[in-house]
Amino acid sequence: MVPASHRTQTHFLIDIAKRVFEGLLTAWIAVTLTFFALRAATGDPVSSLLSQGLATVEQAQALRTALGLDQPLTIQYLDFIAGLFKGDLGLSLYTSQPVDQIILQQLPSTAELALSGLISGVLLGFFLGTTAAWKRDHWTGKLASSLSGLSTSVPVAFIAILALLLVGMLGQQTTGNLNFLGYSGLLPALVLGITTAGPIAKVIESGLIESLQSEYIHAAMARGYQKDLRLLWHALRPALPPVVSLSALEAAYLFSGTVVTETVFSRPGLGRLLLRSILEGDFPIAQGLVVVAAIFYTLSHLGADLIAMLLDPRLRDTT
Amino acid sequence: MTGRITIIISSFWVVAVILLAIFGPLAAPADPFSPVGEPLLSPLEHGPMGTDALGRDLWSRILYGARQSLSAALLATTLTVSIGTTLGLIAVLYTSWLGGIILTLANAALAIPGLLLAMLFVAAMGPGYLTVILAIGLGGAPGFIRLSRSIFAQIADEGYVDVARALGAGKLRIARNHILLNAQGPLLSLATTHFAWAFMGITTLTFLGLAGDPSIPEWGVIMNSGRAFLIDAPWLAVVPGALISLTILAVHHLGLELTDRFRPRG
Repeated sequence: MVPASHRTQTHFLIDIAKRVFEGLLTAWIAVTLTFFALRAATGDPVSSLLSQGLATVEQAQALRTALGLDQPLTIQYLDFIAGLFKGDLGLSLYTSQPVDQIILQQLPSTAELALSGLISGVLLGFFLGTTAAWKRDHWTGKLASSLSGLSTSVPVAFIAILALLLVGMLGQQTTGNLNFLGYSGLLPALVLGITTAGPIAKVIESGLIESLQSEYIHAAMARGYQKDLRLLWHALRPALPPVVSLSALEAAYLFSGTVVTETVFSRPGLGRLLLRSILEGDFPIAQGLVVVAAIFYTLSHLGADLIAMLLDPRLRDTT
Repeated sequence: MTGRITIIISSFWVVAVILLAIFGPLAAPADPFSPVGEPLLSPLEHGPMGTDALGRDLWSRILYGARQSLSAALLATTLTVSIGTTLGLIAVLYTSWLGGIILTLANAALAIPGLLLAMLFVAAMGPGYLTVILAIGLGGAPGFIRLSRSIFAQIADEGYVDVARALGAGKLRIARNHILLNAQGPLLSLATTHFAWAFMGITTLTFLGLAGDPSIPEWGVIMNSGRAFLIDAPWLAVVPGALISLTILAVHHLGLELTDRFRPRG
């Protein structure tokens, strides 16, 4: 007979394998959707170069051959997938630079912005959510709750503009140059953090309210626990796993936020690269970015699920 | 949850914005496309809101912009709700392979963050209002399929649906007379919440310059054009930004209230 602990461990591994397979399947479908959606709609991207007068007929034909656009769609698709495994995302239509290199050049700036945005968002969300639940009947709690609601409803663009305006006005007052705030990345990161904080705060708030009403907390209070930090820690424990998975998901969604933030703060990065490639019609770059984002999103989704399964034993035996 | 006063204020605001969108252009004091005076006049020097960088009356542009922003978001929401409801319903009625395919595709599309999915459409179709509406409308569909499906699945589990099936009702009859009829409330709250998202998405895309022609007044476009004059004429960006935020906030609160009201009991 197999010991019980052994059996759950095997189950756990099977669960993980299933999740990994699901994640890979999702990534593959998303990549395929992206490829065919762009090809079907743009048709022949080189013709836009022709119509703009940026290439002669011979050059266009050469470019088509170089990009493999004269091949049947299925061959192009297989080439694209095969290229993905080698990290090859094709060439830019305008500069003929490899797309993966262009993306890698811009990646550090965006990664820095997204990471600092996520950290400030988690910290701010934690603060707002805990305050909202802990001081629920006090005005501070109500204020924290409405602030986190506000952060989900106000567009990133407007938060960024308000932040710039505030710094600009402060700069006029103190006659000092506060531009460094924008360029050092502190201000953009804060702006991203504010938009990220809302959902995290809401999850912590509802989780904490629920666990504060649970029996084990009542029992702890009956045994003489004060409503202090020690009790807060006990109550927070069961509310944490959803926060971890949400933070991982937010990390992927931050990419949308960086498009706006980088534009408003004139910061280089993947977001502005995407916007520029779309406005210029440089579709291999746009396609490469969306594919990278989809893979990154699927992986962080997968990571979030696995972390949640590790943290919360209840999620392990769902099958 | 949300206070009575919040709901009343939100309703007033939403009605006001709708009236603005319908009658605003009639009440506009000037042509939103041509200059009326010096550029960047302050609200004290000209009209209620001053002039923009090209000397056009900002108040008139805001009034025309209300119609453009609101109708774009409304069209996008209509598109999302019709696609999402239809496919969600099919996924519940045909639980076998068809439902599975719909859900798998929806989940895969959800792996691309909404704004990115929308930008992908713009990349494919080129900038313009039609593109932005389609992008947000189609971009919101995968999420809506999942949410509406869970509403329908809950109703399809009810005893009266089993009874109807036992009495020999066909799938279409069950869908129309039982599932859709009883899903009206939750669907309305879902659509309202979604409208807030669509409004934010539309104004974000137009803010990024993906709507093409910047002379057409629209709140996101106006906010974008005010960005370059933040210090000299902050109202150019702040007025449309505040209007957008307040509208999203109001619709969001109405959505929450509807969700509370239509939450299934028991």
